[in-house]
Amino acid sequence: MAELWNTIILEPVLNSLIALCTMLGDSFGLAIIVLTVVVRLALFPLTVRQTQSTKAMQTLQPKIQELQKKYAKNQQKLQQEMMKLYKEAGINPLGCLWPMLIQLPIWIALYQSIMQALAATPENLLSLSQHLYSWAAVGQAVPLNDQFLWLHLSRPDPNLILAILVGGTMWVQQKMVTPPATDQRQQSMTSMTTMMMPLMFGFFTLSFPSGLALYWVVSNIIGIIIQYFVSGGWGYLRTPSVPKAAPTQAQTPAQKPVPVHKISPTEQPSKTVQKATEESKTLKKASEEKKRGLFGR
Amino acid sequence: MVNKVTSFFKFKTKRVSLIFCFIALSLLVSGCTGPGYQGWSGFAGHDGILYFGTMDGRVLAINTSARSQGLPFPSEGEWALSVKTPATTGGMCGPIGCVPAAQPATLYATPVVAGNLVYVATYAGDNGKVMAINRLAPGYDKDGIPAWNEGEWFYPRKESKFIGAVVGSPIVVEDMLYIGSSDGKLYALDEKGNEKWAPFETGDKIWTSPAVKDNAVYVSNYERKLFVVSIADGSLLREIEVPSAIASSLVISGESVYFGTFDRLLYAVDIADGSERWKFEGGNWFWATPIVKDGVVYAGCLDHNIYAIDASTGEKLWQFIADAPIASAPVLSDNLLVAASKSGVIYVLESASGDLARTVSIGSEVMAPLYAEENMVYVHARNRCVYAIDMQSGDKSWEFCYSDIK
Repeated sequence: MAELWNTIILEPVLNSLIALCTMLGDSFGLAIIVLTVVVRLALFPLTVRQTQSTKAMQTLQPKIQELQKKYAKNQQKLQQEMMKLYKEAGINPLGCLWPMLIQLPIWIALYQSIMQALAATPENLLSLSQHLYSWAAVGQAVPLNDQFLWLHLSRPDPNLILAILVGGTMWVQQKMVTPPATDQRQQSMTSMTTMMMPLMFGFFTLSFPSGLALYWVVSNIIGIIIQYFVSGGWGYLRTPSVPKAAPTQAQTPAQKPVPVHKISPTEQPSKTVQKATEESKTLKKASEEKKRGLFGR
Repeated sequence: MVNKVTSFFKFKTKRVSLIFCFIALSLLVSGCTGPGYQGWSGFAGHDGILYFGTMDGRVLAINTSARSQGLPFPSEGEWALSVKTPATTGGMCGPIGCVPAAQPATLYATPVVAGNLVYVATYAGDNGKVMAINRLAPGYDKDGIPAWNEGEWFYPRKESKFIGAVVGSPIVVEDMLYIGSSDGKLYALDEKGNEKWAPFETGDKIWTSPAVKDNAVYVSNYERKLFVVSIADGSLLREIEVPSAIASSLVISGESVYFGTFDRLLYAVDIADGSERWKFEGGNWFWATPIVKDGVVYAGCLDHNIYAIDASTGEKLWQFIADAPIASAPVLSDNLLVAASKSGVIYVLESASGDLARTVSIGSEVMAPLYAEENMVYVHARNRCVYAIDMQSGDKSWEFCYSDIK
């Protein structure tokens, strides 16, 4: 299994990375940046699909929360209603997982390639020999020059610059996609997860080779750019964690306040009609969210 | 039915998320944990004692006679000395722990014995030190910290100063020690640890051993260059550029210098003018230092082959296919060539024909250079054991595992 993984996935990525290094004037830092951009561009359609699926799921959140309240004591009914809701909106609840599942092996290969190619110790350099092609561009590049800007790519960054960049970009990316919580308990959970991951990765940066941290930073920045264009803005980044007045439905950035058309008491539609209209709007929105193409806003 | 489907989805989503978390965690953990023991020091023999660097950061002296008799350690002439980990400042702490500033010392370089001193060089992250230890009386103070005896020294002398990490073994010629380090410098030190001349700057990592011939030191770095430096004053005599960086240590024989490169070639270069005499292509790197004897170059290759090549023409005389890459330098004794594959199989070959005389499996990886003395071959394996193999019979004469020694 490991042999198969190495032959089909790891070695092509690793050798491309090293050959790219030769082509870019022996700069492994540039090679990491370029390959990360290339891989992210190649996976772009999948990323967009994943982002749209997530966004569509988020649009349905108010409706789901409503259902959860309504059927709090009847889980069976709740699940039935949720599935019905997904079906009506034309959303597969696992839709956002498949693109992620396809991308994952490529990310792991890129991660492993950077670690292998950097060959921080003599043992690493020796084991690298078993994964290299006989390409001239590869033979000429090894062992790689690990100098890039102020960094030794095979060693951790002694300054805090890279750690701050990794943590900061990861926080921005997470914040853009995390909807604000509706209650206190949820809010503390959300803020903890939004903070913990960037903090953890920022800390890992202090002990991991800076080449890997460089890849994290570039990958996060590209993620932010994709998120920006697919979601049509900074997403939830500018939204406070807890809405000031806790409404029954969480307000997403997409749901901008609409000018209120005052209806006279005689014109006021019945509650049932009002609810049905809201439901239909939410479903339509989720469905549109899914169908919406890139730069659709 | 709908219920079943919804609960299935709910369950599956949770499971998939769990799998993702697990993969991400294992990825991080695998990045955090490096190999526990590192290094591949070979042996320096003197008066029946073998001196070598262990994979747990110590220098060990073992008496071959005492080991063959199974006497308790330490017997006569035996000792173990812990190489002090360089204490540098600058460790950083974060919200969930601290990152140490210094790494434990590792020994890749094979020690050298000259007089009563054993020269050892260390590898600790970016840092390295050269140490001269009195091989007859290495000592510890009452706290168990290595105590320095008369004549012993370390370079650089100041405890907080370092040279680059050392991988290539030092050499001693006419009481002068020559050593290259990861900081790209070639150092020349006398028997008291004083610099003979200012370190020669090559501009990139030196991970191979230098060689000396006719008042010149030959050293290669990872910038695809071979430098010829004057022994007298450390000035550059000549610089030779090669198409790829040099992977093996240099061997000088006659008027040629032999080395393997990372583009899978073994070169013979004229030392007089730096011209290429021949090159021989293998299936992978020639990582192990080749041997040149009686007009034949014996070279182990990471493509699993051991090659015998005519030193004057570069023609292949024979090749032997081993079971795994050959990473450790082979040895010659009389008419036998002994090579170890990375998987731990020792091959004893007829040096003239390449015919297999016998094999011995030691069951652990071998990367350290082999050492031969009086019909015995000594192997430092990755399981932190030393094996003595009788070349004639192919028997394992004794084995000694230092992992239990305090």
